[in-house]
Amino acid sequence: MSEIHGAVGSYVVNALDPDGLEEFEAHLAVCPSCTREVQEFTETAAELSLLASATPPPALGGSILAAISEVRPLPPKPSAEIALAEAKAPEAVSAPAAKRPVDELALRRQQRRTRILSVLVAAVVAAALALGGVVYGLVNARQAQVAQQAAETELLTAPDVKTYVATMKDGGQVSFVVSKSLNRAMFIGKDLPAVGTDQTYQLWTLEGQRPIPDNLVAGGGDRQEFFRETLSGVTGLAVSVEAAGGAQQPNPSTIQVVTELAA
Amino acid sequence: MNATSVPSNSEGQPSGSAPHVETSTGRDTEAAHLVELMTLSSRGHEEAFAELYDRTSQRIYGIILRVLRSPDHAAEVMQEVYVEVWRQSARYSREKGSVIAWMTTMAHRRAVDRVRSVSSEVARDERYAFHGGDREIDQVWDGVEQRLDVERVRRGMASLTPIQREALTLAYFGGYTQSQVAQLLKLPLGTVKTRIRDGLIGLRDALGVEA
Repeated sequence: MSEIHGAVGSYVVNALDPDGLEEFEAHLAVCPSCTREVQEFTETAAELSLLASATPPPALGGSILAAISEVRPLPPKPSAEIALAEAKAPEAVSAPAAKRPVDELALRRQQRRTRILSVLVAAVVAAALALGGVVYGLVNARQAQVAQQAAETELLTAPDVKTYVATMKDGGQVSFVVSKSLNRAMFIGKDLPAVGTDQTYQLWTLEGQRPIPDNLVAGGGDRQEFFRETLSGVTGLAVSVEAAGGAQQPNPSTIQVVTELAA
Repeated sequence: MNATSVPSNSEGQPSGSAPHVETSTGRDTEAAHLVELMTLSSRGHEEAFAELYDRTSQRIYGIILRVLRSPDHAAEVMQEVYVEVWRQSARYSREKGSVIAWMTTMAHRRAVDRVRSVSSEVARDERYAFHGGDREIDQVWDGVEQRLDVERVRRGMASLTPIQREALTLAYFGGYTQSQVAQLLKLPLGTVKTRIRDGLIGLRDALGVEA
């Protein structure tokens, strides 16, 4: 038995350091006996929780039920998680497909990064929709360590990351994820309404009253897009619907949402 | 994943004393009921989710609190976990294991993530993890069946060697990495890794849990 098998217990009790975690997960993907052992140990560890039982504060249940009433359960996944992550990989990971590494560990790492990214984005949207305000608790050392290369992850893990939640005129739920320290902002649209083929969403940064045209975002589905502009001097972010190709100046009637950034 | 639909008391239990079998059957019934509640939750039934909360919140809150020690942090993580369970309810499948294991795993992971991101703020007494829990349990569990379950797990822990038990306790209840456990116990990392795994094997066999 090679040494890597020995990490299965530590994996189940979340005791692996980030490097060890990555290495073990790469192994787990190709090791049926470890996979089986992980399943068994997961049930065993769950039994341990019996020894820690404690009654939660009475108000917590009500607070949780209030929170979930504003969150829509996700639809079932049509296929395996990894297949989904793979399908998204070219979009979310900037490395060209041709350069994709072929060895097991690197491939697994890339899939993992993509998967973490989509989980992070989903978590940000969920937390933003459920709680609003500053995002906390989403990001942890493990995810940060593994996913550093992705600009999105860098933003999401920035210590000063803030999420601004807004509803557009057309009903689309959007979040702006902003880090002043990184000087970057990202737009996240959840189930965006479709716009016509001759139209597009357009992002804007606002310097006081002055709108500066930024990147375009297609309508329909879940979208995420960085703002091209840095945040120097920027006081607000906005989204409009424009003719395909975008506009240099927003038409007041096309503005979907304007969000002022905290000082 | 071949054993998920097999009743867990069908084999591998060395002694079939009466209370033991009853408890096991009760667990199966409870496990099946949690699956139903999860299915209903995935269709948006908030009442089913409320019942799921009532039936699981002591264990989920307990493990989060035990790892974090801070009721404030624990309440935040608890809320994150249940909102996530609600969101992901359609993504749960029996093939992934029991509902309680799925939820406990999520709760433990998030508690550990939180503790590692804030560990400098929270003063934690690593020894408390193993020695501090008995009174809480007696206050919480009043059902006979649940008491038997607790007793069963406690016996399972008692059947481990001291180092297995200590390593597993520090990792699971303490939220420490295996490297930190090695430092705390003044043992080589490889030894700690092995003891954690051996501890889980011993506990698995003692509890007769099947995946």
